[in-house]
Amino acid sequence: MKLAELAAPRQDYSYGFLDAFAKRELRRRMLKAIAIPGYQVTYASRELPIARGWGTGGLQVTLSLAGPDDVLKVIDQGADDSVNAANLRRFIARMTGVATTTDACRATIIQSRHRVPEERLRERQALVLQVPDPEPLRHVEPNMSRAREMHADADYALMWLSLYEQLVRFKQFIGGASYPVMVHQRYLMSPSPIPRWDTPTLHQAPHLTLLSAGREKRLYAVPPYTDVYPIEFADVHFRVESQADRVCANTGAAHKYMDEVPQPDGTSLFRLSDTGYAEKLIKRLRGETVKIGPTYYDSNGEFYKPGYLKSRDGQDIEL
Amino acid sequence: MAYVAARGGEQATRQATLLYHALNGPITAATVRAIEQSLPYLVDRVMGEGSLYAPELTALAIAQAGGDLYEAVLLLRAYRSTQPRLAYAETIAQEQMLTTRRISAAFKDIPGGQMLGPTLDYSHRLLRLDVLDDRGATGATDAAAQSHNSRETGTDAELVQADEPAPATYPPVAAWHRLNGLLDPLPERDPVDPAELPDVTRDPISFPAPRAHRLQSLARADTGGVLSLGYASMRGYGLIHPTVNEVRLGYADVNLRHPITGVVFSAGRVRVSQAEVVNTFAEGQAKLALGFTATLGWNEVKTIAGSMLDLEMDSPDAHPAHTEEFVLYHTEPVEASGFCIHYKLPHYVTFSSSLEALRRVLDEQKAEASEQQGAPS
Amino acid sequence: MVQIAMNAAEARMRDTFTALMWSLSYPGRIHILPAAGQVAFEVVAEALVDLETSFYTPHPEFARAIGQLGARMHPPQSALYQFYPTLCEDDLVTLRMAPVGTYAYPDASATLVLGCNFDEGQRLRLRGPGVDGAIHLTVGALPTAFWALRAEMIRYPLGWDVFLVMNDWIVGLPRTTQVEVF
Repeated sequence: MKLAELAAPRQDYSYGFLDAFAKRELRRRMLKAIAIPGYQVTYASRELPIARGWGTGGLQVTLSLAGPDDVLKVIDQGADDSVNAANLRRFIARMTGVATTTDACRATIIQSRHRVPEERLRERQALVLQVPDPEPLRHVEPNMSRAREMHADADYALMWLSLYEQLVRFKQFIGGASYPVMVHQRYLMSPSPIPRWDTPTLHQAPHLTLLSAGREKRLYAVPPYTDVYPIEFADVHFRVESQADRVCANTGAAHKYMDEVPQPDGTSLFRLSDTGYAEKLIKRLRGETVKIGPTYYDSNGEFYKPGYLKSRDGQDIEL
Repeated sequence: MAYVAARGGEQATRQATLLYHALNGPITAATVRAIEQSLPYLVDRVMGEGSLYAPELTALAIAQAGGDLYEAVLLLRAYRSTQPRLAYAETIAQEQMLTTRRISAAFKDIPGGQMLGPTLDYSHRLLRLDVLDDRGATGATDAAAQSHNSRETGTDAELVQADEPAPATYPPVAAWHRLNGLLDPLPERDPVDPAELPDVTRDPISFPAPRAHRLQSLARADTGGVLSLGYASMRGYGLIHPTVNEVRLGYADVNLRHPITGVVFSAGRVRVSQAEVVNTFAEGQAKLALGFTATLGWNEVKTIAGSMLDLEMDSPDAHPAHTEEFVLYHTEPVEASGFCIHYKLPHYVTFSSSLEALRRVLDEQKAEASEQQGAPS
Repeated sequence: MVQIAMNAAEARMRDTFTALMWSLSYPGRIHILPAAGQVAFEVVAEALVDLETSFYTPHPEFARAIGQLGARMHPPQSALYQFYPTLCEDDLVTLRMAPVGTYAYPDASATLVLGCNFDEGQRLRLRGPGVDGAIHLTVGALPTAFWALRAEMIRYPLGWDVFLVMNDWIVGLPRTTQVEVF
C-alpha cells in the first residue's frame, strides 16, 4: 500500500469551487432564510474569482446548490447572451459540470440579475437572484445596525413616510426597480432590483426564490406559496411599468417586458428583454415545434392572478 | 540613534535613503522599460494622479520609488513643476476620440454598438500557477507564453483577428438622451480661449469650484480616495445606484495650432478614460442628471467613482463626505499622502506643550481627590 | 482544466441538503434522504454541522458519531442543531430550552431533527408559506404534548425549525407553518 494510492486524485479546486465548509455554511444559512421569509440572514461570503458586486452572492448560492443532475440557466437583464451571464454560466459549468439551457421551463436553477423570466416558473425550480443591496431601508436609513433594529421592531414608518412624500411631490410613486415588498406580513424586503413588472411573480409562486448579496454578506428567501405584497396605500396603488404600445421588433410580441434600444436618429426600437422566451417565439414563427410555457402576463397584459394588481394604467383615483 | 541629532543627522538621513534603494535593488533602463511595457495600467494610474502624461518617466518614478505609488506620484508632480507650458491643446470631442472600449449599462444596445475592447471584466480571477513552472528558465519563448494564454482561458481559444476592423470612433450615448429631451442640450458657447480656463495647477481651489476646477481635481485625484468616497455613496450614503451611461477608453489627439501658420496638427495621442453616470429624479426633480469624470490613462474605477461623486457634489443635501469641498480636498493624493507621512516628523515641541497641559489637569485632579479624602466626614 | 467531479461524500451531502431545502420549502411533503434509519440522522448531521457549529443530542452513541464531524456538543440551551432520533415525553423538558433566536437575529435559533413515523398517529393540517392552501399529514411516535410546546415556543419571527425523519423520509416544518391537530 502506498500513500499515493490512498490519496484522492489531485483536483485543483473543490466541486463547485467552494470547499465543504463554505458550502455547508451557505446551506445552513439558506435553510434559515427559507424558514424566515424575507429576513436577511448574514453569511461569510467568500471571495470568488469573479469581481465583487458582479453576482458573487448569487454565484455562491448556485454553487452550493448545483449538482450533476441540475440544468442551469443564467440571465442578466433577461438575456442569456449578456456578457456577464455568459461568463457566470461558463464558470458554474466549469466548476460543477451542470448542463445549461436558455429555456426557463427546462432549468432547475435559474440564476438571474435583474429579471424573472416571462414564462411562469413551476414547483421545485430555484430562482437565484443576484442582489447588490439587500436592505430595503437603505435610502431611509443607511446605517445597517439601525436598519436591523427597525426590522426587529417591524418599524417601517419611515418607508411609509417616504411613499407619502413621493405622492406629495409627484402625485405618484416614483420607485423604479427593487420596489419594496412585505413578505409573509412581517418583513419588508428588497426584491433584488427586478423591475416592478416582475415583483408580482414572487407572490404565492410555486417556485423557490433565493436572493443573495455577496458584497453585503446577506441572503434571504421567498419560499413557494408565500404572500408578497408591494407596499402601497389603500387608495393609491403600486403599478408595474407600462409596456403598452411597445411591440418586439423581432417577434411581434406585446405586453411583455421590453428593452428599449436607442437608434442613431433619436428614436427607439423595442425587443423582448427575456431572450430565452424570444428564442422560442422565433422558433415558433419559423414553424418549428416548441413548448412555450404559460406566461405571467397574457397577451392583453393581464397578470395571471386576477385581482392581485389593483391598478392598471390610469385607474387610480385622482389626487 | 537620535532621529534628529545636530551631529550625524545628515549622514544618517543619507544612509537611510541609500538603504531604501539598496534593499530595492538597482534600477536600469531595462527595468524601467519592463515596467512601462508590462504594467501599463499601473503606469496609467500614476500618470493620472501625477497629472503628467509621460509613460517612460512614470515607469522610472515607479522603479525609483520601489513601487510606492504615492512616492511615484510625488516624483512626477515634482518633475512636472520643472516643465514650461509651451502651448494649449485644442478641445477634443468624444465622437472624435479613437475609441478602443465604449460600453453602456443603460441600454442593451446603443448606436455604434457595445464595444468591449480590452478588459478583464469577464474573466475568471484564477491565479495562473502554471506560469511559475517556468521559474528559473531564462528567455521563455513567445510560443510558451502563447500556450499559457491558451491555458488561462480554459480553452484553446486564441486572440483572433476580426473580419472587419472595429470603427475608430463612436457617438456619445448621451447624444440620444439629448435628442429625446431627457438631458438638457449642451450649452452653445463661444469657443473658449484655453488660456482663460480656470486651472487648479495655477489657482488655489475655492468653493463653489468652477466646473473646470472640479473636473481637473477629479482627473488628478487619488484612485483609492475617489473609490472610497464614491463607494460610500453607492452603498447607501448617497445616490445608491445611478446607471453607468457610458464608459470609454481610448486615445485622444493632442491637437496644437501651429504658432506661425495657424494650422491645427496632432502632436501625438494620449491614453484617456472617461465615465458618465446618469441618475433619475435627481435633486427630487423629474429629470435625468449626468455625472462625469475623465483622466489621463485608462482607469475605469476612478472615472466611474469620480462621476458618481460629480453627481453627489451637485446634490443640495449630500452627505457631509460628499460635498464638493470635502471630496476635492481629501482626494488630492500628494497633499493627503504628504500630510499623512508628515506625522513622522519630530513633533516633540508641540507634544511637550500638550503634555504640560495634560499634566497640569491631572495634578489638579489628584490634589482635589486627596483633599476630599483628607476632609473629615 | 480537468472536469471537476463530486466525490461520494460531496454527493451525499448535496443530496441531503436538497432534501432538507425542498422539505423546508414545501412543508408537509415527504422528501427522500440518501440514507435510512440511524444513518439518516448521521447524513443530516454531516450536511449541517462541522467545527463551526454546535449540536446537542441526548443519545451518547450518536453524540460520538457527530463529534467525529468536529462539531461541538453544547447544552440544549445553546446548541443550534439538536438531534432526537427518538423523542420521549421527558425530552420535552430539554426541548423547551432550545434557542428561538432574538428579534434582531431570529436565525440564531435551533434546528431540531426528530425521529417519528408517518404511518399512524396524530392527524395534522398544515398551512403557511410553502403550502398551497392546506395539506394533511399523519405524524406518530412523538409525545402528544409536542405540538402544544411547538406552538408555545414560536412567537414569529422567533422559534425553532423542525425536520421529522422516518427511515429515509424527511418532512420539514419551518416556524412559519401553522399546525392544527385533530
